[in-house]
Amino acid sequence: MKRLKQSGNASPGWVLSAPAFLWWSFFFLLPVLAIVYFSLADKGGYAAEQAVLFNDLDLDNYANSLTGPFFAVFLITMRTAIVGTLTALLVGFPVAYTVATAVRRKWQPVLLFLLILPFWTSFLLRTFAWRIILAPEGPLSMFLQTVGVLSSPLGILDTQAAVQLGIIYNYLPLSVFPIYAALDRIDPRTREASIDLGAGRIRTFIEITLPLAAPGIAGAAMLIFVLAAGDYVNPAILGGAQGLLVGQLIAIQILASQNLPLGAAMAVVLIALLGMVALTVWLLVLAVKRAMKWVWDPGVHADRKVLTERGSHA
Amino acid sequence: MRDLAIERGMKAWMCLVFGFLFIPIFVVVAFSFNGGRNLYVWEKFSTVWYTVALENPTVIRALWVSAESALINAVAAVIFGTLAGLALARRKGRWTRPFATLMFFVLTAPELVVGIGSLIWFDQIGFTWGIGRIAVAHSLFDIAIVALVVRGRAEGLGESIEQAAADLGAPPLRAFLGVTLRMMLPAIVAGGLLAFTFSFDNVIISMFVQRPGATTLPVHILSSFKTGLRGDVAAVVVMALGITLAVILSAVWLLQAGSRRTGMDT
Repeated sequence: MKRLKQSGNASPGWVLSAPAFLWWSFFFLLPVLAIVYFSLADKGGYAAEQAVLFNDLDLDNYANSLTGPFFAVFLITMRTAIVGTLTALLVGFPVAYTVATAVRRKWQPVLLFLLILPFWTSFLLRTFAWRIILAPEGPLSMFLQTVGVLSSPLGILDTQAAVQLGIIYNYLPLSVFPIYAALDRIDPRTREASIDLGAGRIRTFIEITLPLAAPGIAGAAMLIFVLAAGDYVNPAILGGAQGLLVGQLIAIQILASQNLPLGAAMAVVLIALLGMVALTVWLLVLAVKRAMKWVWDPGVHADRKVLTERGSHA
Repeated sequence: MRDLAIERGMKAWMCLVFGFLFIPIFVVVAFSFNGGRNLYVWEKFSTVWYTVALENPTVIRALWVSAESALINAVAAVIFGTLAGLALARRKGRWTRPFATLMFFVLTAPELVVGIGSLIWFDQIGFTWGIGRIAVAHSLFDIAIVALVVRGRAEGLGESIEQAAADLGAPPLRAFLGVTLRMMLPAIVAGGLLAFTFSFDNVIISMFVQRPGATTLPVHILSSFKTGLRGDVAAVVVMALGITLAVILSAVWLLQAGSRRTGMDT
């Protein structure tokens, strides 16, 4: 330390980032490891001091999570999350496409802000709203009965369908952002060139726009899937007894049944499932990218060949 | 002609989606002013449920718990997040990769996992201060958010002014406080406000780590959904929305004003 650095405030980066790093290590990494450790323990008595027993560490809780009624909830959760993700993408893609291509530049950030605003403001309120709208004696039910579509009050509330609707509604805004970001990076001239060369609108969309937007679509899918699979609020508010999802099941094990080890094991299973899905999506995106290179590269080589041939003629 | 039809169709779809997103929010706001005994059946306009809600001591207590923990969380997020964000933008090194990896996991971890982990860990290390538990558990995600916001601004600004201050002989600490921090201020405050709202709205993590007597407003709202819905719950939810909205709009305004000012400077 004899020579001081010339630039005045040159404290190295690791010193500045150390507080956050230590904070996360102590309050995030260690707790996650603690979940894994607790998942191997056993449920003890109801007294607080011996609620968890560590004298016999085994994988029993995992065996329990992966069989019977618990595993059925995992499957329902995965199905709900996948349907929710795909629907949000189908509904959100045209919106992202419209904002990116058919709206004036000046208005694009305004529209995007309006889209994220509901997501940033009270998640509870947005979920709660559907309890009013879908109530058997609520506004939608009354309207549908007056019009004659329904002959009896609406019975969606407290079912799987209500949870599915809530998940689509709540996470829909998240589908727009990553896709918009990807579409916005595509030079409009790429599309124009494709159409000028006679590819037609549909072919241009499928062969140019969609593959170029693939990373954005995958990003949106991951974001929504992870949040939907770990959701607690939607099933708790809209699902009633029928619409149980794994997030709620885990919370019940820990907060109501006092079975912390089983809840911890379920949480680890959930993380593992999410990790596997993330890996699959990532590999898919890589495959799309590789396929695009394969489609585009021959053209590049042909161009070069033409150029070199011309060069040799000259 | 066909292009125009397609474009019109897309815009109509976009309007439908915006309607779908916003109508439920308006429904709650409207029904919170429903004077009828049954929340779902509109009777007459009245602010009676707001009076009922504000006279409920549990609501007021929960509001204070939420505000206090959100504030402590925001302070922690601002301190740790600002330093980390500056380091990520200006002082990259061998530490960056492991740090960014940890930050990625913090940002993507399901709230459920953070909640359970914090619950187990706090009980294990004997951390029993209710508001502190909520603030610390919330701060994990919010530090990352502040770091991202500050990094974005630091990268946008460049380092020339700070270097000029150093060249003109400003001592390191003074250059940092007087130049770096001042230029970062809009981003830091906006990041802190975002951290406040994320904490203020959080349900899942709070539900796990809370202690008896320190229940946050969202957890109170959630538990009152279960015991039956009355207009006062709608009123509380709408008031919480008002608070979040005010904080978010000021954060956005600050960021905008900040970038406009530097835009004129350069």
